[in-house]
Amino acid sequence: MTLDPTTQASAVDDPVVNAPLDLERAAVPVAPAGTGVVRLTDVWKQFPTRNGLFTAVKEVDLETTPGEFLTLLGPSGCGKTTTLRMIAGFETPTRGSITLDGADMLRLTPDKRPMSMVFQSYALFPHLNVFDNVAYGPKLQKSSGSELKDRVNEALASMGLTDFADRAPNQLSGGQQQRVALARAMVMRPKVLLFDEPLSNLDAKLRVQMRTEIRRIQQAMGITALYVTHDQDEAMSLSDRIVVMNKGRIDQVGRPEEIYRRPTTRFVADFIGSSNFMKAEVADVANGRARVTVLGQQRELPASELSADATSRVVLVRPESVQVSLADSKAGVGGDHGTITRAVFYGSNVEYVVKTEAGDIVAVVSDPDEDQILKVGDEVVVDFPQDRGWLLSADEA
Amino acid sequence: MSVATPPRGDAGAQAPASSARVKKSVDVPTIIVTTAVIAILALLIVYPLVRILVMAISPAGSAVVAKMFTSPVNQRIVLNTVILGTVVGAIGTLVGFLMAYVQVRVDVPGKKVLHLLSLLPVVSPPFAVATAVITLFGRRGMITHGLLGAETNIYGLTGLTLVMVLSFFPVAYMNFRGLLSSLDPALDEAAANLGANKWHTFKTVTLPMLVPGFASSFLLLFVESIADLANPLVIGGDFTVLASRIYIAITGEYDVPSGAAYSLVLLLPAMLVFLVQRYWVSRKSVVSVTGKPAGKPALLDTGARWPLYAASLLVVGLVALIYITVIAGAFTKILGINNQFTLDNFKYVLSGIGNESIKDTTILALIATPIAGLIGMLIAWLVVRKMKRGAAWLDFLGMLGLAVPGTVVGIGYAIAFNTPLIWQKRMFLPALGGGAAMLGGAIAIVMVYVIRSIPPGQQSGIAALKQIDPSIDEASASLGADSVTTFRTVTLPLIRSAFLTGLIYAFARSMTTLSPIIFITTPQTQIMTKQILSEVDAGRFGNAFAFCTLLLGIVLSVMGLLTLLVRDRRGAGRVSVGGGL
Repeated sequence: MTLDPTTQASAVDDPVVNAPLDLERAAVPVAPAGTGVVRLTDVWKQFPTRNGLFTAVKEVDLETTPGEFLTLLGPSGCGKTTTLRMIAGFETPTRGSITLDGADMLRLTPDKRPMSMVFQSYALFPHLNVFDNVAYGPKLQKSSGSELKDRVNEALASMGLTDFADRAPNQLSGGQQQRVALARAMVMRPKVLLFDEPLSNLDAKLRVQMRTEIRRIQQAMGITALYVTHDQDEAMSLSDRIVVMNKGRIDQVGRPEEIYRRPTTRFVADFIGSSNFMKAEVADVANGRARVTVLGQQRELPASELSADATSRVVLVRPESVQVSLADSKAGVGGDHGTITRAVFYGSNVEYVVKTEAGDIVAVVSDPDEDQILKVGDEVVVDFPQDRGWLLSADEA
Repeated sequence: MSVATPPRGDAGAQAPASSARVKKSVDVPTIIVTTAVIAILALLIVYPLVRILVMAISPAGSAVVAKMFTSPVNQRIVLNTVILGTVVGAIGTLVGFLMAYVQVRVDVPGKKVLHLLSLLPVVSPPFAVATAVITLFGRRGMITHGLLGAETNIYGLTGLTLVMVLSFFPVAYMNFRGLLSSLDPALDEAAANLGANKWHTFKTVTLPMLVPGFASSFLLLFVESIADLANPLVIGGDFTVLASRIYIAITGEYDVPSGAAYSLVLLLPAMLVFLVQRYWVSRKSVVSVTGKPAGKPALLDTGARWPLYAASLLVVGLVALIYITVIAGAFTKILGINNQFTLDNFKYVLSGIGNESIKDTTILALIATPIAGLIGMLIAWLVVRKMKRGAAWLDFLGMLGLAVPGTVVGIGYAIAFNTPLIWQKRMFLPALGGGAAMLGGAIAIVMVYVIRSIPPGQQSGIAALKQIDPSIDEASASLGADSVTTFRTVTLPLIRSAFLTGLIYAFARSMTTLSPIIFITTPQTQIMTKQILSEVDAGRFGNAFAFCTLLLGIVLSVMGLLTLLVRDRRGAGRVSVGGGL
């Protein structure tokens, strides 16, 4: 394949970028089994500011399992990037310990830690071509001659970059640059791969494509990955487990479906997906079940542990769990009755806002029949399947 | 496997106990480099300054300091210095602004030539401008006497102002050119869109945004002109300033304590003005110098451009005339009196002491150039990337070579290094300068060259590094490179053009510096600028012109060579340093 090096290759039209990774053909370095356990114990980070100390990260306890893909998710300023940078060694914790497979990492400078990081800006060395960018780390590991060449070429091949070895970074598209950054980190055979929002500079389509590739390569290598993002779709699609951070703390750690279905705090519920929080009268909470009155009906719902002792509680129902049907008559004024105030057709689904005594409730109905679509002003009854409700504490942390 | 969620809302969650403080990893290579750089700066500039201070507050010195403001003679000298600084600062700033405005904002032909001629004085050897001005405008000047038949006296404030403005206005020119070209043209367009005409826009939008630029240029020129020694010696006449008074004290009266005292009086305002310029005025700037403006500004194309053009042509015409005079003077017997072509001047200059001085100066400058360039880049790297606390102090230490007037540096070196440092009967440092020094005092001269040449490279290095994404450094560390390896393999290649700028300035400054080395040269080590001074003193302008021509030739050819050498050999051209898209 010949490409004019002066033109910026468009990522979308580029056959190389669009081809799936050929992991069978390219030998991918595989991490030794049972390694890559990163453990953070009571980690704090405080920065001095004009008005005293700012606490960016507090009380963070975390442990990965070998080969796990763990994502730190949260809004900007929640401490997720600071946490990752402390693991990489670019920031020093104010307190706490960070170990990798039992070895203290805090005594090591970043260059001595067996981890490689992929940066948001890719951070490719602009004065080196693609081959030399990838060869940079192995050369420092005293790799040379044909061994170095084989190693770099393997890494390039595994990312589909063989034809780009002689290019300068600024002659590559964003997606290609990201692949070089990944190859450069991979070739180090680190025990842990660190990702700092690596896809946020790519366009939406490429982002989706790159995240499946990152996941595949991580699984093929069997390597532990720590990934920082503020994008919940990215976190959901990539992770074995998600760590939701809020104001420097960990709010919840769990599998994607746990985080989505059974959030432990109102913040987590609000941050992941869209939510209806319904006022509820709680009769009692025990053993993870609660008896509550919500939308005018008494129901038995699953409940979070924290909700047992909370002073205020709400019921979470996701919009796609809300069922909306036309009311039989206008006479009904029960808690489950309401009026449609907004109806938006999105193609694959239709979104309603229903005004009820319990507040505005958002409902999403997928793939609706055209003649079944409700209109603004329709009187409706709202309901939800019993096990799709979730009682959680609404107390401020 | 389970992950513990920390207990929420416990009262002890406010501040970590100090007993559990983390034992930090130690970045040994960075600590070594930082220590080495600070030690070098301490020896090269802090120590000589401390010795001046000690000398100035000694009984002999403090007597002079005390008299400084009571004796009418000394009052006159201080006043002269302030007047000179103010006049040159004001006129030089205006000339620099005029040239920059014409360059960036006015639609006239021949701008490239205007630009090059405006920069030429940067590499001018000391005395070149002053001697040429005397030849042209002096008592027997080719223009004033020969052409106009007038009897004029160029010696004094008038001559000094003319010479210094012509020598120093490029500083203001470069300053304003950067500011003007980074002003967003959309601001002008917005003003025009709101109904302002060109003059009104200039008055109400452009000028107010340049106020910090005017302040900054004025202060820089003020410091440069009060620090200058060469011009007051040649063209100052009876108009004595502090710099020339120091020279007389040391070389005429052999009175080191009063030299130190005068130095202190010169040092304090120079440092003060420098600090104000660097840390206060430059922070007031409302113009983002890094931002690339979108689009090009509308050029001034009304009739108002012609007077501006005429004025700028007058300035570059004078510059060109000066340099033509220097070169013509080098090839004639006595320019203006006997205009016969001759090579005698060069024969004289290229034989004996002259030849040696050319060789010695060039070699010493070539030794100092890479040292100064490298230290400048290291300081920039430490300041921008490595140091959290103390970065401003290191930056300041590095800039001292520019902030401290050359004459003061010279006195400091004479006091500190012309005799061995002996304490408790043990020698800590042999004499590095002066007659008894090892290697004929060459070490002290290289040290002066280095300390005087660090600041330009340091400044361009800092500017370049601030443009480079810090995660490029972190990527290198993440791939296993320690901090010094990162500096060598990533940082230095990326700031190559800043490094080149540093090297070029270092060489040009070393070759043309006079005031700091005048007190430490020895018969064994001849320096060109000092040779030029003695030729000028003896009235042999032809020889001085020949020296100046050679000096100019050497500086320009080394500049060209350095550009070729440091330029990217693979021809990959400019690389984007964003690291991103």
